[in-house]
Order: sequence, then structure tokens, then C-alpha cells
Amino acid sequence: MKIEGTQEISADRERVYSALIDPAVLQRCIPGCEKLEATGENTYSARLRAGVGSIKGIFNGAVKLEDMQPPSRYRMIVDGKGQPGFLKGSGEIALDEKNGATLITFSGDVQVGGTIAGVGQRMIQGAAKMMATQFFTAIEAEAKARPDEPPPTHGFFRTALRWFSGFIRRSVAR
Amino acid sequence: MIPAQFDYIAPTTLDEAVALLSQHADDAKVLAGGHSLIPAMKLRLAQPQLLVDIGRIKGLSYIREEGGQIRIGAMTTHYQIESSARLREICPLLPEAAGQIGDVQVRNKGTIGGSLAHSDPAADWPAAALALDAELRAVSSKGERGIKAADFFVDLFTTALEQGEILSEIRIPIPKARTGQAYLKAAQPASGFAVVGVAVSLVRDAAGKCEAAAVGITGVASKAYRAAAVEKALAGASLDEKMIAAAAAHATDGIDANGDLYASAQYRKHLAAVYARRAITAASR
Amino acid sequence: MAEKYVGQRVKRTEDPRLIQGLGHYVDDIKLADMLHVAFLRSMYAHARITSIDTSEALHAPGVVAVYTGQDVSSKIGQVPCGAALPDLKVPDHRVLATDKVYFVGHPIAAVVATDRYAARDAIDLIIVDYEELPAVIDVEGAASNSTVIHEHFGDNIAYKLTAGEGDIEAALASADHVVKQRLVHQRLAPIAMEPRGVLARYLPGEKELTLWSSTQIPHLMRTQVAIMLGIPENKLRVIAPEVGGGFGSKLNVYAEEALLGWIAMQLARPVKWIETRRENIQATIHGRGQVGYIEIGCKNDGTITGLRYNVFADMGAYHQLLTPAIPTLTGLMLSGCYKIPAIQMNTTAVFTNKMATDAYRGAGRPEATHVIERAMDMVAAKLKMDPVEVRRRNFPTPEEFPFKTATGLFYDSGNYVGALDKALEMADYSKLRKDQAAARKDGKIIGVGVSTYVEICAIGPSAATPAGGWESATVRVEPTGKVTVLTGASPHGQGQETSFAQIAADALGVDLNDIAVVHGDTAIVQYGIGTFGSRATAVGGTALVLALEELTKKATRFAAHLLEAEPESLQFEDGKFSTDGKSVSIQEVALAAHLARNIPADMDPGLSATRFFEPKNFTFPFGTHIVVSEIDRDTGDVKLTKYVAVDDCGKVINPMLVEGQIHGGIVQSIGQALYEELVYDDQGQLVTGTLMDYAVPKAAMIPWLELDRTETPSPVNPLGVKGVGEAGTIGATPAIVNSIVDALSPFGITHLDMPLRPELLWKIVNNAG
Repeated sequence: MKIEGTQEISADRERVYSALIDPAVLQRCIPGCEKLEATGENTYSARLRAGVGSIKGIFNGAVKLEDMQPPSRYRMIVDGKGQPGFLKGSGEIALDEKNGATLITFSGDVQVGGTIAGVGQRMIQGAAKMMATQFFTAIEAEAKARPDEPPPTHGFFRTALRWFSGFIRRSVAR
Repeated sequence: MIPAQFDYIAPTTLDEAVALLSQHADDAKVLAGGHSLIPAMKLRLAQPQLLVDIGRIKGLSYIREEGGQIRIGAMTTHYQIESSARLREICPLLPEAAGQIGDVQVRNKGTIGGSLAHSDPAADWPAAALALDAELRAVSSKGERGIKAADFFVDLFTTALEQGEILSEIRIPIPKARTGQAYLKAAQPASGFAVVGVAVSLVRDAAGKCEAAAVGITGVASKAYRAAAVEKALAGASLDEKMIAAAAAHATDGIDANGDLYASAQYRKHLAAVYARRAITAASR
Repeated sequence: MAEKYVGQRVKRTEDPRLIQGLGHYVDDIKLADMLHVAFLRSMYAHARITSIDTSEALHAPGVVAVYTGQDVSSKIGQVPCGAALPDLKVPDHRVLATDKVYFVGHPIAAVVATDRYAARDAIDLIIVDYEELPAVIDVEGAASNSTVIHEHFGDNIAYKLTAGEGDIEAALASADHVVKQRLVHQRLAPIAMEPRGVLARYLPGEKELTLWSSTQIPHLMRTQVAIMLGIPENKLRVIAPEVGGGFGSKLNVYAEEALLGWIAMQLARPVKWIETRRENIQATIHGRGQVGYIEIGCKNDGTITGLRYNVFADMGAYHQLLTPAIPTLTGLMLSGCYKIPAIQMNTTAVFTNKMATDAYRGAGRPEATHVIERAMDMVAAKLKMDPVEVRRRNFPTPEEFPFKTATGLFYDSGNYVGALDKALEMADYSKLRKDQAAARKDGKIIGVGVSTYVEICAIGPSAATPAGGWESATVRVEPTGKVTVLTGASPHGQGQETSFAQIAADALGVDLNDIAVVHGDTAIVQYGIGTFGSRATAVGGTALVLALEELTKKATRFAAHLLEAEPESLQFEDGKFSTDGKSVSIQEVALAAHLARNIPADMDPGLSATRFFEPKNFTFPFGTHIVVSEIDRDTGDVKLTKYVAVDDCGKVINPMLVEGQIHGGIVQSIGQALYEELVYDDQGQLVTGTLMDYAVPKAAMIPWLELDRTETPSPVNPLGVKGVGEAGTIGATPAIVNSIVDALSPFGITHLDMPLRPELLWKIVNNAG
């Protein structure tokens, strides 16, 4: 499944970039991320409790950041496996300045397997969009937070509701 | 197709049920008719630690009129609504939508409250609740509150219900005189879920023009929504073929449609306009 | 024999128990001390297993044992493939994966536990490390794919085969037109209402293993599983209890069947496995799965000069019992009901990272019929002729039978024009065409589709089958006069308990209710081949007729002895032997034979007979289906507004059963034409993994079916029956597709691949790309 889209975040590019590659921030922003530990340079092991509504699964896996060109682009590779199946993806994330805000353009390929692929095909697009929205909404809050403030907490569903309409324009194709 | 282990409690009062929910927080799920949750559990996509079965609580299954409203208990089955002669008279959209859900077995067991709280993006009830401007009553250990249908559906399988809240009742303003209603859907042939489902409730003035219209659409996006642009185009309009088609063309304005194996986002958007046109036409007859 | 029951609409004697929920399927059989098995299955389409850790699962509550491929591969033989073809590559097919997994659903480990829940829970505790490999999914590209599934074969080609007769090059060269088309037969899931299930019990003292399995072939399974387990065949008993449908999917020997038997022997406790619907869709055989290229040559007058079909056939990752043989059935039937002087089929059968394909209702013939029936319509479109006329011009006449095809068959009997004319009359074809023209002027999108099909049944002569093509029957008149019929066929929904009782009741002049038809237990019934290939009545029913004849002869001699008359002087009518005003009933004869105090010296006591029937040829039922469809311009929805079918399955024993078979077959055809498709994504994930996405038609989606018959008896067997189990899935699919293509012909459409989903049709109508 191809995932692509853009997201405008009203914070400056350096801050958005540093938020996007900061493991502590990522752990707070990746929906359901319970653990993100460095295992090497820009390589992390992660534990996710991901899902939508009552449909949830625990995934263990690795996150790797590559081709890092601060503050304009990098590549993210995710590989996770859990009881409901597996999830693999890689994508390019590009950051551009736009009137003092940051325009994030992402495009990537996500593969799912196992039960989630076998029974969830009608939901996968919606779920992918929902999680992307949650992630970028949280990143925006992080990037906008002042450095001396305690990190924001992300009530994903509420935040998602607030930010859902208008911000996301993306197309997802199988 | 065998669920993971779970505990099961069947409280007999709503108070007990909400107490259990606040006690067990994230680990508990409310079991109503079980026609969405149980399949998800059997696939192990949902693995709640505790099921709180609200099916044994008396007084959650009813259809009555009170305070200018139709009040439907959350545990009322689709079949009870489908077969209500009184609803056919005063709010035909409800039985019409109920009759198009799943199959006979599903309608005999599935409940309106369970379906709304599950918020499947292709379920039928959310479209009807939106078009009927329903208020959904939520009970928790902290008390009771009402949530407008327009605020209730948040995202895929996600509602405005807080942790520990149980949807207890659906309240629908009794439709005014000269109200016309319809629910039409394109059903996915495997699941019976709505590829697109359009619920319309409109009021005509004495001259036959559309005074106000409410249009709820399910199946297209990650959640059901009110088609505001369609409603706006209909308000004050004469309900002729041309006007209806023009209004229906706005069915997916501003909507991020989803696609799947059966129907692409583009086709879904097209179907939404077609079914909106047909449903408005049916409602205006 | 007087036909009191044969030919009548006798209600199924099976139904009262079934509709009351009193039938006994495998899962209804519960034995003391029984354990339950659950399988860990691959979630990858193609991967190397680098390690399996079962330690946590072994210690889970209720778990008795966990087995992996390493534990069993040297103990249990290969899952059998019965098809023999030149240079066929047969992969080493073990009951559990060893070093690699080859498809999503491939069994990796079996957990045995005290209940199903504990077994399933423990599955999640097994840790498998995989090294994922690229998946081979595309059927056409598989042969040249650099990823090789079974590495030692060097490529993914299971076999290549060229079949057919006549000079195809010359035939196509002599044509005025050659029509070419690529055509896809999508993969389907058989979806028997009852999934598979196995219960195994081993008695260590007796050294006897009993398998209850939801199978169509209890005896063949006994032989094969005995070989796999290395146990004496006479110490293995297979029982097919009530079987809730098979459609070919249970005409197989599966890994789970042998493995359950082995586990029962290891643990000396009964073990049961009931397939879940998820497993059923993933790991029970699939049907169809061909991508082919048609070239058909025709003269300007519509005469067909030749047909070439180059096909890529998707075997899946392994061969099941008949996997490689299915495309050869396609090759045999490519001539359809037409005189085609030259036919060639070039098959490239390939391995892919998917579940094996095998026989699904029709098994290769729906593919052939779809090819030829679509081709005839494309010829008609090319020549701007009525599709009915093109067909008519190429039919053999009834006098030309037995009719030899360029695929090497001899069609037994047929009156193709008779069935066609009857169907045309029922449908009022010329009016349909007029109505269509008028409706098109009103902007409606209406199509009329015709298919004239012939199929191959009564499988079959032993020379043409891998494990014997005969069938067996025993008839016994018990001392109390009740009649027991033991048939080697293994009905699983077809209703032969009723139709065989009808045959026996008429032959013996006894009441239908005095007959018990027993099947599906290898310890009770003489060896039989089973129920598949529309063979049970034509072959098994004939064996029964032969046994009844023999039994009647014996009874006549017993009766003559009792009546002190010459056997030749006896009349046998309504169950009574009579001569010169004296008579004795068959029941009295049976008792006398049993007591044996007064029987001819050269006769054995008892009244029974066992016979086997070896057919000399297949039978070839045929018919015409006509479908009217209307497409909703706004949505692309298809409505089948008229369905007419005239089928000729030879002589009919029970019209109601025949209609039931036709109904069911048409419904499954509607499924293939409009709804069903197993979709593997390019990683090999089966994304239509439940009935939420795999659309089996529901009753409300089916139009009224107007059925009638013609009756052309088969000369191949004394009953004159041909078989009807698969006719519906063979004749109906092309009629539906032809109808929809006809509807869309004003949009320049000459062919569409199934399933014909609304979005596809909407795009055509609205040119939306």
C-alpha cells in the first residue's frame, strides 16, 4: 500500500526536524508507542500498542532513520511483528519551509501481513490515515512547545478530532 | 476463530456496569449484542481482558415517546426497531435503516447502541443518527451527559464516549409534520456493510419546498458525517429532479474518502452522490 | 422393473435429520479423553524458517504436546499427488513446513491441548524466526521469475504440456478471421458450509486407527493415509460421517488428516481438529486460477476452423491430490459442443506462493466452457452474427454421435439443438432481442447472454483416472426383509441416500422406507472411489443396478426353489415372485435364504450381491443457459432479470435432486461471474481472508431460475444417466458474462474478466478510466 500526503505544521523547520528524529519525542508521538530504545546509531527497537477503537495489537520491531539531511529530509524504515501480523514500511519525509511554517511531504510504502492483512483490508486505509494524523498532530504539538516546558501529553483521539479536518490532504492507494 | 481468554461479568444494573468499567479502565469492553465485538475477538484483533455484558441489565431495551422525543434504549435490537409499527408512522427512517442491516440473525441480536458505540465506518446506524439529529446519552460513574450525533463519531471505530462511559439511550426529536425520510445503501456483497449509505430526513413547507434537510452519509470516509453542503443546497429549494441532483452532487464535499478492494475512493464518492440523489428523491415523495 | 419411485420428486430422506440439527458431522462426535489440535500457520507467503521455539507453548496450561516439521517429517510420508503427467515436478510436500514456508496458511506447528481454547492460546506462544523471501504471485510471470520456490527444480514450472489434434497452424491460417483474447479465470474458494475436520482415535491394543474426516473419498483416503503413516491399510478405518458439502475441496488427502492420525498414535488419545473459516479460506484447496490466451479461427459464415489456448495454470506452492490434472480437464473440453477440426492447448503449469489449486465444482471444465463460450460470442461479434446462429452452425447433429472431438474424446450422445431450441422458446429469444433494441433506445443497458455447454461426467474409465474410475455397490436383504444398500460413493449433500433408495425400491418392489443406504465407512462398505466428478449416480448408481440385478437373479432361484418351479417361469412384480397362482415375497425369500434350511444345494445362504461397475466411457451432459441482465447506468450494479436453463443430464432419477444441483451450481456460477475472487496481494498476503471480503452469493442476490430439461439417455450405462452435479457451474458462468458483455457491446466491449463488479462496469459505462 502506498501512503503519501502532506501535512502543514505551524512551527519552524529546524524544530520540526529535530522533533521528528528525537527518540524521546518519537516515543511520545508514535501512536501507542510504549518503548523506543536506541540499539545503534539512528536505530531503535520499539514496542507499539497500535490499533483503532477496540481493535488493537502489540507489535515489537525496529525503527531506523537513514539518509539524514537536516533539516530537509530523511528516510524512515519501520519493521514490526506481533500477534495480529506484521507491518513493514519505508518512506521519505521531506520538510519545506512555507511562510514560517513547515510543510511535511511524506511518501512511502507500507506492507501489512497476517490477520490484519487477511481480514482488515476495508479498514487499512482508514487506519493508516488515522495513525498518520495522530502522529503529525502530536509532532506539531511537540515542535510548538517551548523547550523549557514539560513535554506535552497526547490525548490522541481528542487531538485527532481537533486537527482532523483540513490539515491532511493525502492520497492512499493500494 | 477462537478468542483469547477474557473474564466476563454480567451486571444487572447500569450503576454496577459503569463501576466495573471505571475499575477496569482500558482492559474492559462493553458487550452489547456482540455482533461486531465478538467477531473481532474471534480473530484476536480485539483482546479485552474483561467483557462487561450489559445484556442482563433490565430497562435498556425500549422504544418510547417522551418530551417530544423518541427514546430508544441502547440494547434495543435492530429487529425491534425494524418491526415497530409506531416508528414506521412517526420516524420511518429508523425501521428502514434497521431493515437493511446485515441479515436476519444479525438484526435479531445486534443492538442500536452497540452499533453506534462501535462506530464502524460502514455501519448503517451512524448515518441515521446524524440525519435524525440524535442525541446520544452516555452514563458513567460521574453521571450522565448527552452527546449530539454530529459530535459523537470521531474517527475510525472511535467515538466521543469517554473511558468508563456507556451509551444508554438514543434520543431523537419526533419529526415534524411534512417530514420525509429515506435510507438507501449500496451493500458490500460479502459483508452487507454499506459501501455507501445515505440517510435523509427533510421537512417540506406548506408549498412543498424543502424547509430543512439533514443528510447523514456512512461508508465513504473513516466515519459517518453530515453532508452539510447537500443540506445547504436543499434548504429553501424546490424538490425537483434538477435541484435534487445538484444538491446531491455535493455529497462528498470536503470529505477524504477511503477506498478498498471492492470500491475505490473515486467510485465511493460517485456512489455517495447517486445514493444521496436517490435518497433525497425518495424522502421527498 | 416398475418405476414407482424412479423419476419421481421424492423428498430427500436425509433432510428431516439435517433440518432438525440431528445430523452427526465430525465436530458432533465427541470421544472420552479427547484432545484438541490447533495449527500455527505461516503469515508469510515465502520465507525461510530460521528457528522455531516451542518451549513456552509446551508449558502453557492444558498443552499436551507441540509438534513441528522437524518432529514429524521423517515419520510421516508426503502429502500425495495422484496426477501422473510426463515430466511433472512434484515438490516434497511434508505435513508441516520444515525449512521454508511456501504460502500464507502453510502449517508450521501443531499444538495438542485439553481443549480448543488452550490449543489456540498456545499457538501465540510459539516463536518463529523467519527470513522473508520474495513471493512469486503473478501467474504469467512465475515461469521466468528469478525467485524459485522449490529451489532444486531450477524454475517455477511444474510441467508443460501440449495437447490436442489437428493441424492448428493450418486451421488458423485457413480462417477468414482469427479472434484473440486474453482471459482470466480467477481463483475461487470452494467454501463448503462445513469446513474440514478430523477426529482420530488409536487403540494401541488392537493397533487400530480410526479417522473420522469430512471427506468425499473415505476409501482413497484410507489407502493414502495408511501409506503416509506406514501402517497396514486393514488397520485403518476411515469414516466420513455427515459431510456438509465439499464441491471438490474434500476430494483430497490433506496434511492434517495424516497428522491427526499420527498424533493419536503417539499419544494414544483421541485428537480432534476442526478447521476455522479462516483456515478454510487459506489452506483448503482453491479452484480455477488460469490465465489464458485464446486464438479462434472462423470462416465468414461462422464455421470454426480451429482453436488454440495457451494457458498459464496456477498450481499454488504444492500439488494436492489432483492439482496438476485439473488443467488437463480444461484441455479435454475445449471443443465445447462444436465441431472444431483442430484444437491445441499449450499449458504452462507454474508454482506460486499460494495455496494449491485443485478440483472445485467443475474442475477444469468451467474454464474450458468459459473459453469456448466466450470465444463463440467474440466470433459472433466479429462477424456481426447472432451468437445463437454461430453456435447452431457448429453443432454436431444428433445423428453424428458418438461424436469425436479434436481433444480426443467421444461424446456419448447429445441433441444440442434440441436443448437450445427449448431454451430459446422458454426465454422467447426473438422477443428478448426486440425488447433489448427498444430498451437501448430508451438508454437502458440490457444484455442477453447464451451459453450452450457440454461437460464430461461419470468419471470415469479407470484408464483415465489415477486411482480407479469404477464404483461399487452391495445390496443385502436382511433376514427381516429390510434392504441395506452399501455404496462406495460418498454422498455429502447430493441426496443419494434418497435416489439410490428410489432405484433399489423399484428394482426390488419394496417400500422406500425399508431401504437404508449406507456409505462413508471403510469398515462397513466395500472399497469405493467416492463422490466427485458428477459420478455417483452414473457410476455408483450403475454398480447398484448391477448388484440389484444379481440379487434379483439369486432371489429368483431361491424363490423358484421355494415354489418348486423353474426360475424362468417366475414373474417378479411388486416384490413378489409368482407362478401358477403361488407366490412368495422377496422378504420371505430373504428369510429362507438366511435360515438356509431349504435352499438349492449349489447356492450360498443369505441374499446379497456385490457388484462393481467400470464405465467404458465418460458421459457428456449438455444444455443451454440464457441470461438477461440489466446494468444500472449510475452505479454499475448488475441485475439478472431473467434466467432460463435447459439441461440434459440423461435419464433423471429424481427431478427435485436434479433441480437442486442445477440451482446450486448456477448460484456458485453467479458467485464467480459477479462476486467471488481470492485476492493475493503482490506480497502474497491473502487479503480476502474472511467471508466479510470474500463474497459468496446470498439467496437475495439470486434471480428466479426457470428450469427445464431435455432427456437424451446415455448409452454408456444401463440407467441412461449422465450426471448433473457440476452442470450449473459449467454452463452458467459464461451465460452470465456473455449477457453482461452483450449489454456493454455498445460501449465497444467484447470481453471482460470476472468478477464483474459494479465499479468495473460503471467505469466502462461512464468512461471514467
